[in-house]
Amino acid sequence: MNQWLLAIIAVVVAPFIGGILAGIDRKISARLQGRWGPPIVQPFYDFFKLLGKSKIAVSRVQLVWLYGYLFFMITSLVLLVLQQDILLLVFMLGFAGICFVLAGFSCKSPYSHFGANRELLQMLSYEPVLLLMALAIYAQNGSFMISEIFKNNTPLIVPLWPIFIALIYVLTIKLRKSPFDISTSHHAHQELVKGIMTEFSGPYYALVLLTEWYEIVLLLGLVSLFWANPLWVGIIIALAAFVLEMFIDNIAARMTAGWMVKVSWAVGLILGVLNLAYLYLKKGVL
Amino acid sequence: MQLDWMMAVAILLPLISGILVYIIRQYHIRGLIVVLTAIALIINSILFVKQGLPIEYTPEGYNWGLVITVLDYVILLFYIYAGLSLRNWLVLIFALTQIIPLAYWEFGMGAHAEVEPAFFIDHLAVVMTLIISIIGSLICVYAIRYMYDHEHHLHLENSRQSRFLFWLVMFLGAMNGLVFANNIYWLYFFWEVTTLCCFELIAHDLTTEAINNAARALWMNSLGGTAFVLAIIYLYMNHGGAEALSMQNIISGGLGQAVALLPIALLCFTGFTKAAQMPFQSWLLGAMVAPTPVSALLHSSTMVKAGVYLVVRLAPAFAGSYLSIMVALAGAFTFFGASALAISQTNAKRVLAYSTIANLGLIIACAGINTPLSIAAAILLIIFHAISKGLLFMCAGTIDHIIWSRDIEDMEGLAEKAPVVTFITAVGILSMFMPPFGMLLGKWMALEAVYIVPLAAILFVLASAVTIVFWAKWLGRLLQVLPRLGKKWEKLSLSYSVPLWVLVIGIFVVGIGVAPIYQKFVHFAVTNVIAAEEVFAQGWNIVIPGSAAASAAQAVGAYPVWPLFLVLAAALFVPFICLALKPGELRPVYMCGEQVGGTDADEWITAGEQKAKLQLGGYYFQSVLGEAALNPWVNTIAIALLVILFGVSLGRWS
Repeated sequence: MNQWLLAIIAVVVAPFIGGILAGIDRKISARLQGRWGPPIVQPFYDFFKLLGKSKIAVSRVQLVWLYGYLFFMITSLVLLVLQQDILLLVFMLGFAGICFVLAGFSCKSPYSHFGANRELLQMLSYEPVLLLMALAIYAQNGSFMISEIFKNNTPLIVPLWPIFIALIYVLTIKLRKSPFDISTSHHAHQELVKGIMTEFSGPYYALVLLTEWYEIVLLLGLVSLFWANPLWVGIIIALAAFVLEMFIDNIAARMTAGWMVKVSWAVGLILGVLNLAYLYLKKGVL
Repeated sequence: MQLDWMMAVAILLPLISGILVYIIRQYHIRGLIVVLTAIALIINSILFVKQGLPIEYTPEGYNWGLVITVLDYVILLFYIYAGLSLRNWLVLIFALTQIIPLAYWEFGMGAHAEVEPAFFIDHLAVVMTLIISIIGSLICVYAIRYMYDHEHHLHLENSRQSRFLFWLVMFLGAMNGLVFANNIYWLYFFWEVTTLCCFELIAHDLTTEAINNAARALWMNSLGGTAFVLAIIYLYMNHGGAEALSMQNIISGGLGQAVALLPIALLCFTGFTKAAQMPFQSWLLGAMVAPTPVSALLHSSTMVKAGVYLVVRLAPAFAGSYLSIMVALAGAFTFFGASALAISQTNAKRVLAYSTIANLGLIIACAGINTPLSIAAAILLIIFHAISKGLLFMCAGTIDHIIWSRDIEDMEGLAEKAPVVTFITAVGILSMFMPPFGMLLGKWMALEAVYIVPLAAILFVLASAVTIVFWAKWLGRLLQVLPRLGKKWEKLSLSYSVPLWVLVIGIFVVGIGVAPIYQKFVHFAVTNVIAAEEVFAQGWNIVIPGSAAASAAQAVGAYPVWPLFLVLAAALFVPFICLALKPGELRPVYMCGEQVGGTDADEWITAGEQKAKLQLGGYYFQSVLGEAALNPWVNTIAIALLVILFGVSLGRWS
């Protein structure tokens, strides 16, 4: 019963945290660009305004995938909160991402397709890093369960710092920040219409925003696992990483999709593999 | 007595029905025979579950050993004939390399290959026979109508459907014999029968391409067969005669001494050729020219599954050796290489073929990892892969008969033309790579088990990421629709729709019930291969206890099956309930105002003020991931891995 309660609280509270983080993101970005910026609660205003718009869509199939995106993202978050299997969490996050890609593919729109294809390449870029992270956590703890991370007194970041750096890299891709805002961008100036978001409108776009808020919370939750004891240190690290992403976003320009795959495979894999090799040597498996 | 009948139905009935089908050339009666055979096989395979396993069985009454020996030589002589008449020297050479050592061994050395028991039916064999009998039979039913349409489209004068169904149905009997056989000389016979069926079925259309590809399948599998013959002779000579030809003796150390690794490596090599592992993947890709039921059968329940079955079966014989690690690496490399190559394919059947090769690699890698967890993953993957791949190939065939094309680009917007088939295909594709479906459960278990083979772990990670891309790409092409989705549901022949829907239901039933099925049944198949104390199921969920991986943690991993299916159900139904859109709420897509017409239009005005149809295409990365770019690399590495595999197995002579 306790677990159910925890899951429900997480599902209810996460969008508020995510929305406020999105608001902070816009505020800080605006200040970095020399603007005043909208109020912190602006994302909520936007969200409710979008909900009130009339329902318009380009395809029925698209809606199924948009709901899939939301539901599987929530599932991943619940898996995190209930301290379940991290490998399964990565797979569920992958399913959520695939649902989003398929929503982009589910209409005959050139812009949406550009975005969807690029989103797919983004997934190709970060998925191996996340899987390597799960393997490395297993190598360290002897278990894929997140609950085991909390039992360990040594923070994960100590033996797993290269993977942590790779995860920050993934965070840039996942939060759609420059230089990896390939599939769709929060800034209009470097975009083909609106990328994969082109054909989502009104209440359905609100759905996507809601899912993104869940995603922010989930990703920062993953980052904070790297210092799980005490957790408040981990949360501070995660928030610092979030602010770092905003700086990166504002000093970098968008790169091409091919460059992204190459660089993230090179950086992510080299860091991940070296890290794993170190853990293997330490445990004497090799 | 009952057992005699059950064995006869499993192995001989398909042969008898095949002959009947061949003689009776009337569409309806022929169809009826196939359907009745299918039902008999399915019921029979389920009866095996009810028996007290394992069963030892040696047929009596006739001199079956002699029958098998004679038929063996008939098949090999036919290969020589095929090699000569096709002027394909590779076929000829590898037929000779089988028949000459075999004849020398049997007649020159006077060997007697009598083994008690001839058949050994344990849970692993029953898992296989269930797959063969249920999924294989469904594919045969599917083939009744498919071949009719196929010939109708080709405008053939003389129908060759009877011949086709003969080989197709007989295939099932040979496969049943193969998984039951304990005498590896008999196993070799059934192995050759499957190779023969495969050859005949690939060559069925008799085009130059079909014959060439059939010949390639034949010589590659004959190369494997040669390794098989050498393994038999080695075991017979060095490990105490006919006793050493009993599979149970080989894997459970019943010979009083450790079996040398070399014959085991040879048998694994045979399994690799049949399972189309790199560098032998080309025969399975070439097999795509055959009518689709052949592909469905080869990929899901027969042929390639024989290859992985042999490797999984042999796993105890190479446990703890370097050979085991090399098997894991070779499999993992194929998993990665084939997944990467799948991205560049535009032909739906080739995508499916590469995905099969990749998944077989994964299964073989699991056998090589050789822990209870990985063997459990391997067997679950065999089951789930058979269901999903059987379904997907039948979908590809049905799509082929709707749009008369296998190209993924031509399937653009299929959801409009054929919503039902598109839905089934979408379920099939999702079941291949997404949670909560079974294939992903297997992959998840494999990844949790792979830790002890570090290089394989990294290959697994890369391959898993690549897999997502090619499936999503294809699914995306299918679903791309204009606003008004086709309202009319297409009508399918019963011969198509029954197998398709049964497998869709199978995906869900086996997917949701995986934990109890594992606990009550599959677990025993795992213990046939490796001593597995742990049951990975708790109620309806899969939980991996810490002791399974010798870990300090309480649990290594957990996979809540039914909660995830509940989420899937919610994700599917909520949009329909809350937000059914009225037609007026559907709008055209944004095209910078350059559209022609209204919501349904997909034409636009080009810069030259002309109307053009909007065309969208997928990404294929031919220059980086195409076969021309990657094949030399992957084949070289795969050959190198095989050389090392044999090298490490020479290290431990008898």
